[in-house]
Amino acid sequence: MISLIKNELTKIFKKKTIYITFLVVLAFIIFSNCMTKYVTNSYSSYYRYSEETIKSMESTLETLDPNKASDNTMYIGIKSELDTAKLTNKYPENSWQIQIIYNKISPLINEKNTYEYGVNKDETKAQEMQAQIDELQQKLDNDDWKYFANEDLETANQTLSNLKEQRNNTEDKQLIKDLEIQIKQAEISKEVAEYRINQEIKYGNDYLNQALEAYQSYSITVAELEQNLDSLTYNEKQQYNQSLKYVEENRYILENKVDINKSDDLRGILENFMNQYSLFIIVIVVMIAGTIVSEEFNKGTIKLLLIKPYSRKKILLAKFLTTLIIIVFTIITILVMQLIVGGIMFGFDSLSIPMVEYNFNTNAIQEINVFAYLGLQILTQLPIIILLGTLAFALSTIFNNSALAITISLLGFMSASIINQIAITFNVQILKYFVTMNWDLSQYLFGALPMMPNMTMLSSIVICIIYFLIMMIVAFIVFKKKNIKNI
Amino acid sequence: METVLKCENLSKKFGKRLILKDVSLELKKGDILGFIGPNGAGKTTTIKLILGLQGITSGTVYINGYDVQKNFTKAIEKVGAIVENPDMYMYLTGYENLKLVANLYKNVDKKRIDEVVKLVKLENRINDKVSKYSLGMRQRLGIAQAILHKPSLLILDEPTNGLDPEGIKEMRELLVELAQKEGMAILISSHNLAELDSFCNKICIIKNGQIIETSEISEMKNASHKNIHIFEVDNSEKAGKVIEEAVIISKTEFKVETEKENVPEIVNKLVKNAIKIYEIKEEQKSLEDAFLEKTGGNVID
Repeated sequence: MISLIKNELTKIFKKKTIYITFLVVLAFIIFSNCMTKYVTNSYSSYYRYSEETIKSMESTLETLDPNKASDNTMYIGIKSELDTAKLTNKYPENSWQIQIIYNKISPLINEKNTYEYGVNKDETKAQEMQAQIDELQQKLDNDDWKYFANEDLETANQTLSNLKEQRNNTEDKQLIKDLEIQIKQAEISKEVAEYRINQEIKYGNDYLNQALEAYQSYSITVAELEQNLDSLTYNEKQQYNQSLKYVEENRYILENKVDINKSDDLRGILENFMNQYSLFIIVIVVMIAGTIVSEEFNKGTIKLLLIKPYSRKKILLAKFLTTLIIIVFTIITILVMQLIVGGIMFGFDSLSIPMVEYNFNTNAIQEINVFAYLGLQILTQLPIIILLGTLAFALSTIFNNSALAITISLLGFMSASIINQIAITFNVQILKYFVTMNWDLSQYLFGALPMMPNMTMLSSIVICIIYFLIMMIVAFIVFKKKNIKNI
Repeated sequence: METVLKCENLSKKFGKRLILKDVSLELKKGDILGFIGPNGAGKTTTIKLILGLQGITSGTVYINGYDVQKNFTKAIEKVGAIVENPDMYMYLTGYENLKLVANLYKNVDKKRIDEVVKLVKLENRINDKVSKYSLGMRQRLGIAQAILHKPSLLILDEPTNGLDPEGIKEMRELLVELAQKEGMAILISSHNLAELDSFCNKICIIKNGQIIETSEISEMKNASHKNIHIFEVDNSEKAGKVIEEAVIISKTEFKVETEKENVPEIVNKLVKNAIKIYEIKEEQKSLEDAFLEKTGGNVID
């Protein structure tokens, strides 16, 4: 048996195709790592405008006449955007001022332009607005971000006291309920503004600000959903869980001052390892599993193999075990290639930062070593690879047609997400038992809610095993009974 | 002598079509059996049934006493074969191909591989990729992989395909050596009778899925007793009048088809009529003539 497997491995590794494929994968890894390093900027939510865009807006503006009724609205819109753009370009890229310009000054500019060029012109109001804008710009120039933070806090306090007063003055139950939600939102805004001032978190593209804002928006979602926690639909429950997870993870970032969402380092790339490379792994595995039997038939070498003193059962089993070895080999090779390329490009320092996940079983944040996390991801997604490999293997054994085996398996992989989407969107209960809904066990990690209600890790494993056994049994029966026709 | 291969009433159906009907064969140690028949007669199918490559519809195959259907691994253990073409892994070298085979048997070491390579005269090219081999070299490599584990039964399906006359001669010598020295029983199929003529000791003729003749070669050649005798005389015309059965070939030659015992009488008659006899020769009947006599048709369809 071991000699059979050894021979199969020899046959695979003496072929040039496997090396060419891995070279292509290596080229892709280098390319995508370069892209991550030099092109994508993971934090830029607020950009400055480029010179070309400003020029093109200026030329558009020249063609418009604010005094014509048909052009008026458009003129004001573009003029305001242009003014905003010019203002942002006075400050460096990624500076906190840019966010403030977009969020707070841009509406004022729009208002000013409406008074200045709009149908109902009002010179004095326009000048008032301009003065207000100039005052705020002064704050920007003085790097006085705390002014805006205090303003946020003040607004939140004011809203809060208004809402509380409204609630005390009404008897309407529905209104009270609505007000309660709004009060909660205001309280969250207040908490965030206070935290910003205390911790000195500037606005802008800094990860702490991103975390703080994400914390605010997800906390609001959680608060809204918590109102009727008992009557949530499954979809809303998933949304609730997701939001809760983000709240806790962003809280972790703020408390520990660690950027766990950073994607342009080795740790960030490894976090998405399976998402990024599962297609490559599956293509390679399916390519080998889909040819390992049928190629011998097509080339006539199967006769050599079948007249050796081994039963057909053993010969096919050896070929299947070889496929499993290839799966492990492929995953490890791609992982090692990524580690080396990523290590050279980004260094290994980031690997000391743990992965952070919210665990729904313990209701607490959990820190996991990078490699343990990676192992968990690979292990839970292994059924996808094994089942697709088995599919290609079985088809190639049954039909002796490599092209068919490879194509169907890859199509199966690509259509899986569509099938799952249909199942979830239209709530097709029967698809709960379909293999694509069950083969990704990572959906159960950390006590998360699975794709559809009443699915459990155990039932998923059982379903995967059933699919696996059906494919294998058919393949073995067909192989055992097969007449070796003339070639 | 011990029986190596015994096929009893082998039949094979594909759907409703009967491909083989009641084929029986027997090979003893040291036998070289020529398995002859036109293309499509069922030679390769018979071989595939023997090797377990196709299911047997009815009948049994015993190799070294083991039933192929019931005890396949034991039965096939001491069998080497080439079926149809010498199919090898083209992207591997000749040596790597042999190594793959050697791995699957217990007692085949590096020394044995080298020995076999020398035996089939591939030592100069054994480290080349098989894709660079000629068909003849692939045939020889095919034989090498088939005899690597010293089988007691060697089955070769059309092994002379693609060989030049020199190669055919070498292969004959090799097979005779294997049969005599290592005591292998060899089953060798061909549609070309002339190739097997000189070295097979048994012949089996198959046509339309049925065995129509099995015999020892010597027996077959002598099966018909009437031989052709050619007489060289001074005047064949005159002789023709004396001998009734004579067929005149030329002015000085005529031939008579008759039993050996009748030759002295013919000589006697010629002498009595004062015809000078210069030479009498017996024309050797080839296996092919004998075969044509049996089948009454062309061997090569």
